[in-house]
Amino acid sequence: MLEVRELWVGYNDVSVIRGVTLEVPAGEATAVLGPNGSGKTTLFRALVGLLRPRSGSILFEGVPLNGLRPPQVVQRGIVYVAAERELFPQLTVLENLELGAYCCPRAFQSRLELVFELFPRLAERRSQRAGTLSGGEQQMLAIARALMAQPKLLLLDEPSTGLAPLLVAELYRRLEALRREGVTILLAEQQVGAALSLCARVYVLKEGRVAFCGGASSLRGSSELRKAYLGGIGGVGG
Amino acid sequence: MNARPVLSHMLPVLGTGIALAAVPLFVRESGYVLRIATFLLMLATYAVGFNLLFGHTRQLFLCIGVLAGTGAYGSVLLVRNAGLNPVAAIAVAVAIATGLGAFLSYVGVRRGFGVLFVGIVTLAVSLIFQNLVLGLRKYTNGETGIVTQGLGVGLAENPVQAYYILLAVLVAALAVYQEIMGSRHGLALHALSDDEVSAELSGIDVARYKVGVAALAAGFISLVGALFADWNGFISPSLFSVGHVDIPVLIVLLLGGMRTLLGPVVGAIVFTIVDAIVRPFGQLTVLAYGVLLVALFLVFREGTVTLLQRGWEMVQSSTQRGQVGRGVAADEDGDPLSQRTNSRAKSPY
Repeated sequence: MLEVRELWVGYNDVSVIRGVTLEVPAGEATAVLGPNGSGKTTLFRALVGLLRPRSGSILFEGVPLNGLRPPQVVQRGIVYVAAERELFPQLTVLENLELGAYCCPRAFQSRLELVFELFPRLAERRSQRAGTLSGGEQQMLAIARALMAQPKLLLLDEPSTGLAPLLVAELYRRLEALRREGVTILLAEQQVGAALSLCARVYVLKEGRVAFCGGASSLRGSSELRKAYLGGIGGVGG
Repeated sequence: MNARPVLSHMLPVLGTGIALAAVPLFVRESGYVLRIATFLLMLATYAVGFNLLFGHTRQLFLCIGVLAGTGAYGSVLLVRNAGLNPVAAIAVAVAIATGLGAFLSYVGVRRGFGVLFVGIVTLAVSLIFQNLVLGLRKYTNGETGIVTQGLGVGLAENPVQAYYILLAVLVAALAVYQEIMGSRHGLALHALSDDEVSAELSGIDVARYKVGVAALAAGFISLVGALFADWNGFISPSLFSVGHVDIPVLIVLLLGGMRTLLGPVVGAIVFTIVDAIVRPFGQLTVLAYGVLLVALFLVFREGTVTLLQRGWEMVQSSTQRGQVGRGVAADEDGDPLSQRTNSRAKSPY
């Protein structure tokens, strides 16, 4: 579904992503792992058009995305949930969801039902301001808002950041349900265990290059591989 | 109201229009007061445009005078030197100014200018405009100005009619504003004034909104400028300088309340009264404006309308609490939905 070939991305003089090639098959969840500063967020920002790649190509459903601005990328069906959960804190939960469905207002009602079914907590809080939600609820809202846009591919940047272990497990159960419904997921994560439980295929980024790529089972089974590529970082679950 | 929910959001616009329409009935004998009231309408319309630009899309256009001046000089010169009929001349001038507003916005968007940089660039545009008018002395008479009598649609000859025409423009601007804010575009504008990156990631084309808003605002501002040229009977470059247009408009908007429907109107009323008080000080009025502006930015950013609304909500919630008792916790902030266009969002600086 998504093919990235020899991608180079950087800020000013510094290249952060240096020749990354990866592939996200439709209907699967794929993880990008790696320590802080390995380039996960930069990669995602390039995928959604916030950063312009130096070279290389990004193909989505066989069509190149190069040069598109974020709104156009959303239109194509790629929706990005940033690590900072960029909600609109002054707006209510419902208004945030309305904005999520900005690209496709006609589907609003049906999407809303789906999202409320997935996150019943948001239905209870629909007229509350987003800024007053707890961290976990905000993360749910950020993902729910992304889902309102009917994404074909959901990009999640460290969804577990700042969540208690119990909430992380719950979040990943929801993501698993989404994946089963056919949403393709690309996930950047530091919580290796949680990511491995969801994703079939794993890429490990190190200093802007793909240091490892393979099935999740090979990483899951081998603590040596984990140690080699991911250093000290671990995580819950597994 | 229940039968026509579609129109209920237009009630404040209608009410404002009716209230202001009554003014000429009370001041019929005094041409001076009517003049001030007419000028107030123009100021309010400028501020509606500036509210869209600065309040909702964070584009600090310090060239409101240029846009108005383009409407004014454009329409006058097209009649005087090109022989167009006044209505067509106004239409062409407004189209030019609309294009100019969109162009300035587009440049800012493409180059990724921040709020202050847009301010600096548009301020430079204001200086260029002044020099342009002075330089094209052959056509514009430079600082001497142009007597516009007989070149327009005849607003100068009929002040009451002029008042109602300008009132119609103001009401139209308010209605367009309210219509936008009530639609999904209003929500999109709110989102992008909060956080442009988040808005883009939600699929909102921020660039298109900014340019579109700039074009719309420039259209209204230049239309008022063109009508001002006719109504005033005389135009000169200093009438469209930053000190004469932009600073008062900035004060009006801050006084009244950014991102509110009626802020520009309330602000224009308060400003006009203050202006009448400080006028005897002559040159010191500029100083007074300066001090006022600094004070507004420091302590009164939210404006009168927001303040009144909050006060009203507090009164309402306390009476509710009184009636319902302590069992029901009233929302301290009032109904969040009603705050859509005027919540205390991130300030746009």
